[in-house]
Amino acid sequence: MAEFLQQVVEGLGAGAIYAGLALALVLIYRFTGVVNFAQGELAMFSTYIAWQFMAGGMAFWLALPLTLAVSFVGGMLIERVIIRPVEGAPELTVVIVTVGLFIFVNAAAGWIWSFLIKDFPSPFPAGSAQAGALTVSYSTLGNLAVVAVVMGALYLLFQHTKIGLGMRGVAADPRSARLVGIRVGWMLALGWGLAALVGAVSGVLVAPLLFLEPNMMGGVLLYAFAAATLGGFDSPVGAVVGGLIVGVAETLAGAYVGFIGSDLKVGVPLAIILAALLLRPQGLFGRAAVRQ
Amino acid sequence: MSERSEPAAGDAFLAVEDLHAGYGDARVLHGVSLRVGQGEICAILGPNGAGKTTLLRALSGMCRVRGSVRLDGTDLAGRSPDAVARRGVAHVPEGRGTFMPLTVEENLRLGAFARRGRGARQSVADDLDRVYGYFPVLRTRMRQVAGSLSGGEQQMLAIGRALMLRPRLLLLDEPSLGLAPLVTRELFGIVRTINAEEGTTVVVVEQNAHLALGVAQQAHVLETGRIVLSGSAERIQADEQVAQSYLGYRV
Repeated sequence: MAEFLQQVVEGLGAGAIYAGLALALVLIYRFTGVVNFAQGELAMFSTYIAWQFMAGGMAFWLALPLTLAVSFVGGMLIERVIIRPVEGAPELTVVIVTVGLFIFVNAAAGWIWSFLIKDFPSPFPAGSAQAGALTVSYSTLGNLAVVAVVMGALYLLFQHTKIGLGMRGVAADPRSARLVGIRVGWMLALGWGLAALVGAVSGVLVAPLLFLEPNMMGGVLLYAFAAATLGGFDSPVGAVVGGLIVGVAETLAGAYVGFIGSDLKVGVPLAIILAALLLRPQGLFGRAAVRQ
Repeated sequence: MSERSEPAAGDAFLAVEDLHAGYGDARVLHGVSLRVGQGEICAILGPNGAGKTTLLRALSGMCRVRGSVRLDGTDLAGRSPDAVARRGVAHVPEGRGTFMPLTVEENLRLGAFARRGRGARQSVADDLDRVYGYFPVLRTRMRQVAGSLSGGEQQMLAIGRALMLRPRLLLLDEPSLGLAPLVTRELFGIVRTINAEEGTTVVVVEQNAHLALGVAQQAHVLETGRIVLSGSAERIQADEQVAQSYLGYRV
């Protein structure tokens, strides 16, 4: 039993990271209806920026806010410059543009920083807390805490600020949002900026576990897609819950289902995506599209 | 039949001159000109497909236009809908444009989104009270999701949201659509009260000519994208032949 609980805790730690990236996917999807395939690569690029700051001798807790600020502005710029021209184009066009962005950002990171893996320090102390027979590493606790803080901050932003209300208005009905005087284009850019910021957090959390390299986020993106699909693509709460479930499912499957092991673990998100789409296409927390 | 004794363009609060509008290649309005005085209610009547909705959309920047639209001297033509809204034009669109997943109060607060500066918080609270005063049912439903309201309540919410903008010009697109006659009459009564108490200039598009002429001072009849008849509301209502040929009902 203790062994099982230990696996669950490990899974929650991994799930926190998937939840972070899934949250970023969901943010953009809610505002623009775009599934951003480049989200993981943007997070990876942000992580390199953090690495660059620290390579210049900056402390982690100073590099982090700077990285988040750069990511936020970068996300807004990408929306203005690359996404805006295809706004309102058929879905396929926009998706292809984000796939192009994926390839471009990946190649750019390789060109700037090379494809050699780099060490990325964990912001949390080594060692672990002991609770009965349970051992929880500080980095697992830290990851969970960070995702909780991000979630709380987003909640405050959306539910208790005027700008958040405006963003929800745009997500609900862009046409009506224009009619009350909201600059919809800027709200969409803000959504991309926020998503890039949240993605950067997940990149910085994942890098110490996987080493930093341009293809680092490929697998994580897959898990994040599973998390968002499971939780509901239009629900931030769903993204986080979905991420945690996916993390736990993956860890348990790896530990207890003999033939899966650590190599086939990546099949777990695919199974979850498939199951969610077949049984509950809108996800656990999503709203089903109702046409009147 | 059309009146030639209208004030010069400079005097009118809303002055529309030779307005053409459409969607893509489809041209809907072919040179519409009209004037509305400050504090007046102006009704736009006409059959389905005449271009009434397009006229409102052209006024609020929702479709591409050629020609001029001046509100109190400022040119509005060619501006985006959000820019027009920030200049004090509130458009209650066809279908009401409710923010369905948001609560009633959030819908109303969004109406005042463009307001900023010192004292904005207090003035928004005051305006919420005022709107709840006009539509008491909205106060009882303020924490409810707007999508759960009935059609009539949603129409009230749409008008309330428009009032939160503190509009200088209020555009109403078929407020009676899909509502029970009793609800519609109540709604038009409130529009008249708002107009009287706040001096808001109103342009209302309506299929229900009888109701619209009851509150309006002047009216225009639109047919296939052109104004075919203009005059005071009483005159148009009194002219039985007009009523039969253009409005399709006996007065």
